[in-house]
Amino acid sequence: MSWSGVRPTRARGVFGTRTSVIVCGIIAVAIAVFGKAEASIFDTARAKLSDMTGPALLEVRAPLIAFERWIDSVGTIFSVYRENIELRKENAELRKWQDVALSLENRMQRYELLLNSVPDIAPPAVTARVIGESNRPFVRTMILNAGTDQGVTKGQAVANERGLVGRIYLTGKSTSWVILLTDVNSRVPVVIEPSMRRAILAGDNTPAPLLDLDLGIGAASTGDRVLSTGDGGLLPAGLPVGVVMGEGNELRVSLFAATAASDYVRVVDYVVPPPPSDPADVSPAVAGAKRPVATATAVARPAGVIRKAPTLPVDTARAAGSNVEEDR
Amino acid sequence: MVDLLSLNFSRFSAALLPVGSAILLTILVNLPVSLMGGLFPAPILALPAIYFWALVRPDLMSPFAVLFIGVLEDLLSGGPPGLWAAGFLAAYALADRQRDILAGLSGAIALFGFAAAMLLASATAYILTWIVYLRWPALAPLLLANVVTVMFYPLIALPLGWLHRRVVGATRGDA
Repeated sequence: MSWSGVRPTRARGVFGTRTSVIVCGIIAVAIAVFGKAEASIFDTARAKLSDMTGPALLEVRAPLIAFERWIDSVGTIFSVYRENIELRKENAELRKWQDVALSLENRMQRYELLLNSVPDIAPPAVTARVIGESNRPFVRTMILNAGTDQGVTKGQAVANERGLVGRIYLTGKSTSWVILLTDVNSRVPVVIEPSMRRAILAGDNTPAPLLDLDLGIGAASTGDRVLSTGDGGLLPAGLPVGVVMGEGNELRVSLFAATAASDYVRVVDYVVPPPPSDPADVSPAVAGAKRPVATATAVARPAGVIRKAPTLPVDTARAAGSNVEEDR
Repeated sequence: MVDLLSLNFSRFSAALLPVGSAILLTILVNLPVSLMGGLFPAPILALPAIYFWALVRPDLMSPFAVLFIGVLEDLLSGGPPGLWAAGFLAAYALADRQRDILAGLSGAIALFGFAAAMLLASATAYILTWIVYLRWPALAPLLLANVVTVMFYPLIALPLGWLHRRVVGATRGDA
């Protein structure tokens, strides 16, 4: 069998071809250097290209996804019996945990009521459809059918029903590009439960990103849960990310969100709460006199802003005695 | 007169086929789907087409066309601009310098020829990433993409060979 068994045609003027190769090579290197220095030019071109091709991508995706699922289903036919047994066992186990979770949720609600805890406000989100995926050696991205027209901006967190998927890094008018947690350029601050150790989740184009533990203090071991943190003002705190796996110094995170299965995602419009303009508003003495004391969760601080973080007084004894209904 | 016009049109269309096929493959591989559950990186499908036409019809696959296809690949895949453009040009240069040897390879041996070009393209993109971004990207996904692309080469080269014999080759000026 011959794949190239044909007589090659000589290009006219071999020296000219080689000169052209050198010239084009220089142009390519210049594009690479310029692309780093002036990334916005290429980003704008890319965003316009995805805006133009967005509707077509949406149409093309449906049959391709159906085909992809059919291919997947062929592979799972042989393991469906074993999976069914495993799922039954898992389901029985989860039912027990559901009872525990409901009981704990109930207890948590009573504690929050007693402490007059400030409830976590769910940030507004835009639900977008995934219209493109790119799994390449140098980049792992998704394209969404929501852009600046829908309020999507660069840096916003993207999550599916299971957990954090990535962050928006490029926005067009009606499309946006997501840098996935697995991408080699992705760096996301996370917190490891239960030790609450801070770490950086660093993608390396493998399905399980690395945990960079250089900065944090505390234990981190296999099976620990990993959540997003508001540190640096990048992401909303508390989005589930995955569980720790591996041993020794090279710990990785098995992600909850399987990006290949994401059809719809939420783009979370997280804004760091602004610091109060009137210092009297946060003074413990004044606050205590004005209103019942509240227990608050940590407030994220924007990156690069060195400022005394606004603190809310925490006094459980007084809070327990206050009229908790007054603030609600 | 009409025959002359239609002959010119068919020659013109045939001349566009090499670049057109590479662009089509670039678009195809960047379609919004990740077969195999995203476990393997997508192949760099434009490279088999560039390599094939650089061997058999370099007059119809100019370095400037290769540059354009590379930039298109970078733009569509969302990767840093210029990396695959430089990589494709390196593979093109190899095909240009070793045309007699590489074009003479057939069967499974032809795979090694393409594998060498693919490896050179990847190495160029990899080193350029380090030079520009001062960071070594992960090697494993790149090598995996190399393997996947080399496996796709026969699937691309066979229809391109047919196109060359039936459509493009027939209008060759010096044939």
